[in-house]
Amino acid sequence: MCRILAYLGEPLPIRSLLFDTDNCLVRQSYSPKMMNTFLNLAGFGMKAWDPASLRPDDPFSYRATTLPSFDRNLRSLSSKLAPTCVVAHVRGVTYSDEAIVAETNLHPFHFAGARVVMAHNGHLRQFARIRYALVEHVRPELAQRIEGTTDSEWIYALILSQLDDPYGLPETRELADATAEALRILRKVRIAHGIDTSSPANLCVSTGRAVVATRFSFDYGWYPPDDEMLETDLPFVSLWYAIGGAYAENDGGWQMTAADPPRSVIIASEPLTTDHSSWLEVPEYSMLTAELTPAGLEFETRDVDV
Amino acid sequence: MSDRATVDFLAAVPLLEGRAEADLMELARALRRRQVAAGEILWHQGDEARELVFIVEGGVSASLHVPGDREVEIGRMGPGETVGEIALLDGGVHTMSARATAPATILALSRAEFGGLLARQDAAAFRLRRRLAALLTERHRNQLRRLAASLGDDGAGPAPADPTRPPAELEFCGPPDSRYVRRMANFHDFDQLALWGFLTSGRYARCPPGRTLLAEGAPSTACYLTINGAVEKVLVRGERRIRVGLAGPGKAFGYDSLIDGRPSPVTAVTRERSLLLVLPRAHFEQLFNGENAVSRVFLEVLQRDQVATLRQTLRPHARLAASL
Repeated sequence: MCRILAYLGEPLPIRSLLFDTDNCLVRQSYSPKMMNTFLNLAGFGMKAWDPASLRPDDPFSYRATTLPSFDRNLRSLSSKLAPTCVVAHVRGVTYSDEAIVAETNLHPFHFAGARVVMAHNGHLRQFARIRYALVEHVRPELAQRIEGTTDSEWIYALILSQLDDPYGLPETRELADATAEALRILRKVRIAHGIDTSSPANLCVSTGRAVVATRFSFDYGWYPPDDEMLETDLPFVSLWYAIGGAYAENDGGWQMTAADPPRSVIIASEPLTTDHSSWLEVPEYSMLTAELTPAGLEFETRDVDV
Repeated sequence: MSDRATVDFLAAVPLLEGRAEADLMELARALRRRQVAAGEILWHQGDEARELVFIVEGGVSASLHVPGDREVEIGRMGPGETVGEIALLDGGVHTMSARATAPATILALSRAEFGGLLARQDAAAFRLRRRLAALLTERHRNQLRRLAASLGDDGAGPAPADPTRPPAELEFCGPPDSRYVRRMANFHDFDQLALWGFLTSGRYARCPPGRTLLAEGAPSTACYLTINGAVEKVLVRGERRIRVGLAGPGKAFGYDSLIDGRPSPVTAVTRERSLLLVLPRAHFEQLFNGENAVSRVFLEVLQRDQVATLRQTLRPHARLAASL
């Protein structure tokens, strides 16, 4: 299990998302508030789009298996960058020698040349049984690019494979449809292999101009009785968002300022502040889409029934 | 206010109905009386809960801070009513801010004293739990009415049952694996024998996804506890729909109607294939009105569920625009 974060909107110093608030993403790596019995200590990854940078369509990339709370490079960089879109992730793995902590397993996943990145909070139970059955649903040139051992990288390859052009810039609607289609394929393959246990798939998919996020689980509420992740997975994996004008500090507290139409949105596994009153909970089994347009931020929530 | 006057006041408080005079005298000594000026804040949303308040005179407004930096008034309470019980019951923070709307006299009961009243094993403690269940049901119904109004409910109530959703066909089956049930958070901290007494007091049944177990506006015939899977609780008005809760493992539904005898305030539809503990009305009433160890477990499970449900219903949610 992990914690994810996506930001889309006005330029915002990354430091305010990663380090400055009292439940910031880095704090969620060692002190998550909405996860039972689990920490996220297997590394940090981030993609950030800054329109003022060189080649603005290519995101700035950072990932390291070290603990982000002790990472001075990350702290320093995050004070200097003020992007308009960020996808960041702290990775959690089971406390077992079967888990592989490696840079190639860090999110967000991003194949060279592709315009889409993806981070995942969740896990597909018994993934090893379906890994190679997914090959037929993934474009061969994308399957060859999978470097790590995670289920998440396969989900990313599946989503890219559903796009007309995996290396092009998809419309937000196409990206949302591709994400839903990837979930449909996973559902079918799981059924074909008789897998019917709870498998959360909270996803953040982004092009730098739009974000698609899901709060979803396959077969929620069903677990093997001796499963080591049971207590973590019994509650539906959380996802929240704050939407408005700009994320700013006011009277010592951070919150999204009110604005209509909205200009910025933060989507995160947990609110970035212990005061939740300016955050909304994403409904279970739903998808958020957010897109930056000249008129402001277009935002929608839909039920996902795949 | 003398102890005698306080006891007379407490005797008329619905939450304390039926308590012996000696009990009320003891309670009167534990209460702290305060005068509150109009506009004074008793506590802010998010504050740690330290006390439950009985309103003797005046009034208190409960309000929710919502995104967009707005305050929404959820309710107004007057003499004889209580404020602040939710956070004391689950040990969490206050769900809403409380402010005096007029000069008020209040009696404050500390967290420790309130916990002491609930922890007792006597008939008065069982009565208090049942009264709390009724109070939480009323609070839940009020909040659901507010949500229905936001869907444009003109008081006509819910739409007729959706003919595309087939009614539930329950397939009765054996009990779940006890190793699994023991690990569910809602069942922690109980005497294992009494817990098992409760978990074997109904029948287990499987239900496929997409089946309606309960329709808003119809009387409930059973209380359900989800063991595996998930059941959506929804309000539907025409084309518009709000999901007001998801009853996953360890969560219950269908009990509001059995507690207050009124129609169900929500429609419940299986979202996943589900394994449910079904407590028909007679079984529910036996557990609800009983005063033994098994009833104690049941009332505690019910209370935990009611508090969690109320917190969930009070939390602002994104509205679903369409299906994908």
